[in-house]
Amino acid sequence: MLDVALVLASSGCWFAGALASASPRAPERLATGLGLLGSLFALGAALHLLLGGAVSGLDFRVWGLPARLELDALSAAFLLPLHLVGGLGLIYGQRYWPVQLAWGSGRSLRFFYGLLVAAMTLLFLARHGLVFLVAWELMAVSAFFLVGTEHEKPEVRRASWVYLACTHTGTLLLTAMVILMAQRMGGLQWTALPASTSPWFEGGILFLALAGFGFKAGVLPLHFWLPSAHASAPSHVSAILSAVMLKTGIYGILRVSSLLPGIPRGVGGTLLALGALTALYGVGNALAQRDYKRLLAYSSIENLGIIAMGVGLGWTGRATHDPWLMALGFGGAIFHVWNHALFKSLLFYGAGALLHATGTRDMEALGGLARRMPRTALVVFPAVLAVAALPPFNAFLSEWFLYRGLFASLGRGYPWSAALGLVALALAGGLAAVAFARFFGTLFLGAPRSELADHAHDPAASMLLPMAVLAGLCLAVGLGAFLLLPLLDRVIAAAAPGTPALLAAGLRVDFHRLAGVELGLLALVGAGLAWLRRSPEAPEADLPTWDCGYAAAVARAQYTGSSFADAWAPVQPGLRARRPRLRGLFPGGASFRQAFREPFGEVFLEPRVVRVAERLLRFRRFQQGHLPVYLLYVLLTLLGTFLWMLLRGRLLG
Amino acid sequence: MLPDLLIALTMLSNFSLVATSRVAKAIQFAVLQGVLLGLMPLAMGLGRHFHIILLAIAAVAVKGWLIPFLFRRALKQVHIQREVDPYIGYTVSLMLCALGTGLSLLLAHNLPLKPGTEYVLMVPASLATLFTGFLLLVSRRKALTQVVGYLVLENGIYLFGLLLVEDMPALVEAGILLDLFVGIFVMGIVINHIRVAFDSTDTRHLAELKD
Repeated sequence: MLDVALVLASSGCWFAGALASASPRAPERLATGLGLLGSLFALGAALHLLLGGAVSGLDFRVWGLPARLELDALSAAFLLPLHLVGGLGLIYGQRYWPVQLAWGSGRSLRFFYGLLVAAMTLLFLARHGLVFLVAWELMAVSAFFLVGTEHEKPEVRRASWVYLACTHTGTLLLTAMVILMAQRMGGLQWTALPASTSPWFEGGILFLALAGFGFKAGVLPLHFWLPSAHASAPSHVSAILSAVMLKTGIYGILRVSSLLPGIPRGVGGTLLALGALTALYGVGNALAQRDYKRLLAYSSIENLGIIAMGVGLGWTGRATHDPWLMALGFGGAIFHVWNHALFKSLLFYGAGALLHATGTRDMEALGGLARRMPRTALVVFPAVLAVAALPPFNAFLSEWFLYRGLFASLGRGYPWSAALGLVALALAGGLAAVAFARFFGTLFLGAPRSELADHAHDPAASMLLPMAVLAGLCLAVGLGAFLLLPLLDRVIAAAAPGTPALLAAGLRVDFHRLAGVELGLLALVGAGLAWLRRSPEAPEADLPTWDCGYAAAVARAQYTGSSFADAWAPVQPGLRARRPRLRGLFPGGASFRQAFREPFGEVFLEPRVVRVAERLLRFRRFQQGHLPVYLLYVLLTLLGTFLWMLLRGRLLG
Repeated sequence: MLPDLLIALTMLSNFSLVATSRVAKAIQFAVLQGVLLGLMPLAMGLGRHFHIILLAIAAVAVKGWLIPFLFRRALKQVHIQREVDPYIGYTVSLMLCALGTGLSLLLAHNLPLKPGTEYVLMVPASLATLFTGFLLLVSRRKALTQVVGYLVLENGIYLFGLLLVEDMPALVEAGILLDLFVGIFVMGIVINHIRVAFDSTDTRHLAELKD
């Protein structure tokens, strides 16, 4: 009771903060304070629950019908990243997007940011179809306004409209799902479904949930709104969108599936395969991006694919009554949700710091920023290692869960999906390492490629501090993961009722050993660095890099990000390059062009949508602009309805 | 007996409304219809319910005094010509109105009513009034006559509501009445703005606003 009330109060705090930031009278400190207070409430309640508190609920009535808000371990698992990233983003946004900006978008940004967090908090508590849908829509619409913060730019407007169309299509499917569930449950209140006689009904609910929530989670054919929306939003908004809002799709899938009596066996394997394809697709396209925020967005698609793989693995385990597989699959998914929230928001904050300092999102215009922004480089580096799933950082461990699960399922006779999953996971991890080597190398190392990088400087402390906190958490979670295992067990028990707590017993020894090895490695690296510093033979000389004897080494002659990624061109489906053909010993001038188009959204979908829209133009004839004509439409509809009622009995017998 | 008389008068006023060629006459007929319907609950012998009496008084007051007052003010302000100026001729309108009335009789015949309902004429009359209102809305060109159509439409809805008056919460009827009042009020403002913007109250000019 107390926990859920605290979380509800937190939602209220954020809402009040949003209102306060909308009014020009209230000082900004008030709104920030309210938001942070809300985050503390929610974090406290969620941690208390995960550490052993009882499930607490709040019953009330909507229009005379019972409704329920409940805080269980699954809700708490998603509230943690929401309020961590939400609160840090609030601090970060103060300097990143000052309220006194000339075009006045600061207030609306703060208002909708608060509303977004409040809505998502409510969303994670809702156990009632209508409350859930209202919170879902509130979240979607405030995200629309957040994406469109810089609406004076045409590409931002376009991105936000595409996002709005996609999210509403998803809501339509979810509404159908809620109605189907209400028919089955005898009310909008969500309760566990009894084992049924008609598999079609459950199949319908599951399909609608996958499609509707898949739109939000960016699973493969439904991902196309995501890159431009994340690239267009202000960076701390991109962080919360990527770190939490995409995950509401995963939350929804887990929540709805936890109410169903069973999952058909093929569905888990299919989701696993879909997740594997999504991961590969995301990382392949991440390699091809010049816009570093778009790169991060594609990397989010990759990570959501990995999370979907975990859910698919867990479902396979559930269908075959294999608790170990369930624990590893769901545990990996939830753990990766946490880890992705930590490192991806850190990366987006870092991207925001770069954008703030240089004003460009084009990687090829930057370079050598590690010298000009040393602190930013230092705090972003752990995230780069984490996203490449390298130890001792956190994402390594959640992918470790999945590897364990996939190998386990290989031995238990689900070979095709597990084999595909293993290959995809390994390949995605490797390609992510390449993509982020490119990200870090192009942006921070080498020499500046344009004068935009000249005046770059580290951001203010209020922007650096959230990044440092996140970087510390990335490392801490990587080393202290064995402490989190009992928490994950509780979450899994909520996501798939009836699962025994296996992770804490099964993986603790492994994690202890891993942490030991990692600590040893860290100590080794630290000692090496200290030795290098201290040794007198290494004089500090400000010389250029060795240039193979080339006489005129200039910044333009460096590797570009694109040339670095060129070797992996076959996995970058959206990249089109026009290469000049050079002949002879002394070829003349030549130029090389490369363009990226989103392979599914822009190449496949867009021409078709345009064609349909052109066909629909003929309906414009009905819009005459005369009021009587419109009223005539109403009259004709009314008459038609009456006539139909009159004749229905006769016609249908 | 008395209710049937009132209903018959209402239906007759429908015909007069579509046949009249003067704006002022059309308004008078609409007001008359409103007052007739306002008296309906009393004629139906529902005088024992206090809230129904209150509503009847309110309906008569709004439709018989407040709305004509607003109309008169609008007429004075915009210096309207006295012609109704329809899209469809009076004869055709009259025939359409008759057709609508016949259709509503046919329809009401097919709609099952609660057994024991005394006033079988009520449903067809309300549907016929509804259609008349729509006809006026669709076929009249001036903004003011369109408001009259709106008023008649609301009368039809009110008549339909009377069928359920004993079970319907007072809030609903009060809501309808308030809706009507606000609608007319806003339309009066809109009429004035149309005149200021286009120097005429012909709603055809509004087509220029379409995107």
